[in-house]
Amino acid sequence: MGYVDVSAVRHTLSDGRVLLDEVSFRVGEGARAALVGENGAGKTTLLRIIAGDLTPEAGSVARTGGLGVMRQFIGSVRDDTTVQRFLVDLSPPAVRAAWDAVEAAELALMETDDERAQMAYAGALAEWGDAGGYDAEVTWDTVTVAALGVPYDRCKYRELSTLSGGEQKRLALEALLRGPDEVLLLDEPDNYLDVPGKRWLEDRLLETRKTVLFVSHDRELLARVADRVVTVEGGTAWVHGGDFASYPEARTARHERLAELRRRWDEEHQRLVDLVRTLQQQAANSPDMANRYHAMQTRLAKFEAAGPPPERPPEQKVSMRLRGGRTGVRAVMAEQLELTGLMQPFDTEIWYGDRVGVLGANGAGKSHFLRLLAGQDVAHTGGWRLGARVVPGFFAQTHAHPEWLDRSPVDLLWHGEPGRPGVDRGRAMAALRRYGLTVAADQPFRTMSGGQQARFQILLLELSGATLLLLDEPTDNLDVLSAEALEEALAAFDGTVLAVTHDRWFARSFDRFLVFGADGRVYESSEPVFDETRVVRAR
Amino acid sequence: MTLVVPPSHEPAAEDPTGPAAEPLLDGPADDSVTAAVGRLNGEFSGRVGPQLVVRVVRDCRRELGGSPVGALPELVERLARYRLDREIG
Ligand SMILES: Nc1ncnc2c1ncn2[C@@H]1O[C@H](COP(=O)(O)OP(=O)(O)OP(=O)(O)O)[C@@H](O)[C@H]1O
Ligand SMILES: [Mg+2]
Repeated sequence: MGYVDVSAVRHTLSDGRVLLDEVSFRVGEGARAALVGENGAGKTTLLRIIAGDLTPEAGSVARTGGLGVMRQFIGSVRDDTTVQRFLVDLSPPAVRAAWDAVEAAELALMETDDERAQMAYAGALAEWGDAGGYDAEVTWDTVTVAALGVPYDRCKYRELSTLSGGEQKRLALEALLRGPDEVLLLDEPDNYLDVPGKRWLEDRLLETRKTVLFVSHDRELLARVADRVVTVEGGTAWVHGGDFASYPEARTARHERLAELRRRWDEEHQRLVDLVRTLQQQAANSPDMANRYHAMQTRLAKFEAAGPPPERPPEQKVSMRLRGGRTGVRAVMAEQLELTGLMQPFDTEIWYGDRVGVLGANGAGKSHFLRLLAGQDVAHTGGWRLGARVVPGFFAQTHAHPEWLDRSPVDLLWHGEPGRPGVDRGRAMAALRRYGLTVAADQPFRTMSGGQQARFQILLLELSGATLLLLDEPTDNLDVLSAEALEEALAAFDGTVLAVTHDRWFARSFDRFLVFGADGRVYESSEPVFDETRVVRAR
Repeated sequence: MTLVVPPSHEPAAEDPTGPAAEPLLDGPADDSVTAAVGRLNGEFSGRVGPQLVVRVVRDCRRELGGSPVGALPELVERLARYRLDREIG
C-alpha cells in the first residue's frame, strides 16, 4: 500500500494569480480521501502536482507505491486513440516504455526485414515480457470483458471515440482498480457513469485496499465512500478527518472560526491605530511621549506586516438565465424512429413546456437521439420533426470544440456564431460574472477547469435564444452550487427541455421520462428509472 | 500489433548454462520448431534439402532463446525463412 504526503505546496498561474498556497495534507495507506471544492478552485491542478505533471513553485510531494491516474476529461476522448493505446497509457511506466519499444521494433521490421531488425524485435518482445506486459494483457482482457462485454482481442483496435462517455470511464476505472498501482488519483471518476455504474464504483472504492484520492461533486458518492475530506478553497486546502456526513458542520465551524480570527485581528488593528493616533497628539505636547509614540508606531507596522489571517472564503454566486419563448404546442414528434442499430423503432410526442428526462444505461443511444434532434447527422430510419418556432439548443460536454481551444470566453462571446449574436466586452463581462467566470474571462478555453468550461457552454446556450434545450449530462463537472443554479434556470425557462442525465438528484426535477432500455426498447415512464442494465449488443 | 501471447517460461532444454544447447539437436523439438520445419519444408521443397531446413530452423530457435514462448513460432519461422531465402540467393 502507498501514501501521499503533500507539504506546503504553492502554485501560481501563468497570469500571476496564486491559486494554491500552504497546501499540506497526507493521504495515509488505505485511505479513501475525497477532494472537494468549487469549480476552478484548483482540484485538478493539485492532482497534477501530486502526479508530477506540474512542479510546485514551493513545497514538496512525497509518495510511495505506484501511482495510477485517471484524468477529468476521460470520457470525452474524441481523437483517434484506440482501446489498446488507452490501456497502455494507464499502465505503469515500465510497461509503457516496453510497449513503445515493441512498436518501434515492429515499425523498423516493416521497413527493413533483415536479421538485425528481427533480433531487435525478439529482444523488444522479451523486454515486454520482463516488464510484465503479458500479465498486463491478461488483465486487459478481464478489463474489457468487464467494461465492454468483449474480449481484449476483439476491441483493442477500436477507437475510443466510438465508445460512450460512460464506457470510456468504466474502462479506465476497471484498468486502474485491477492494475498494480497502489495509489489512485481519480478526477471526477463518476462523470458520465450511469446509475448502476455509479453504484458499482462506490462498491469497488469501498472494497479496494488501494489508497485513493478522488474528486467528486456527487453527494451520494461522497457520503458512501469518503473517510476523510480535503477541501480546496480560499486558495489553500484543509482536511476534515471524518466522513461526509459530518463535513458540512465541520466546514461551517471552520468558516466561523476564520471569521472570528479575522474579526479579532481587525479589532486589534483598530486598537493599535487608535493608540498611535492618540500618542501622536500627546507626543506633540510632551517630548516624554515621543518615545512611546515611536514604539507604538513600530508595533503597528509589525502587526500590519504580519498580515491578517485568511478571510473566510467568499460565498460564490451563480445565476443562469435561460429565456426561451413560446413555440407550437407539439415541440417534438417522432414516428417509428430508429437510430440504426441502437434501438427498436419508437413513437413519441413531446409538448411545449415538457421537462423530459432521457434515461438509460451507458451506450443505449441517448446521446445520439439528442444529436439527431439538434440537427446533426445521425443514421436513422422513420420520421421525426420539430414544431413551429422550435429552435434547438444543444449542450454536450463530450463535444469537441477544437476551434475554441485557443480563444478566450470574451473573444468567443464577442464574435458570436450563426444563431448567437456577438456581444461587446461590457455585456460579456456582466454575463461571465453571473456565471462565476470573471477570473477566466481572458484565458484560453483550453486552460479553463472542467466546471468552468461547462458553465461557459451553458452561457452560450443562454445567449442562443433556443426554445428547445437538448442537454447531454449537463451536471457533470458542475459543482453543487452551479448544478442548483442550472436547476433554477431550467425551472424558469419558457420552452421545452430534454436532458440526458445519470444524476439521481437532478433527474427528480423532471416530469416525464423517456427510458432507453437495455433490450433496445424505448418507453415512457412517469418516474425515473435508474436500473436499466448494461446494453447487450454485438459490438 | 499482435501480442496476445500467454505468459510462460522457457523450456528447461533452453538453459543457457547447458553444453552449447546440444540437447536441442537430439531432444524433443518444441512446437515452434516442428511447425516451422513443416511449413518451410513445403515452401522450399525442391530448392532446399529437408536437412538444411531442420538445421536452419534449429539454429534460429537456439538464437532466439529467451524470447517469450508464445511469440517463438512466429519469430523462429520468420528468421528461418529469411535465412533460407538468402541460402538460395
Ligand atoms: N494556463 C492557465 N492560465 C490561467 N488560468 C489557468 C490556467 N490553467 C488553469 N487555470 C485556472 O486555474 C484554476 C484551477 O483549475 P482546476 O482545473 O485545477 O480547477 P478544479 O478545481 O479542478 O475545477 P473543476 O471542478 O471545474 O474541475 C481555474 O480558475 C483555471 O481557470
Ligand atoms: Mg477539475
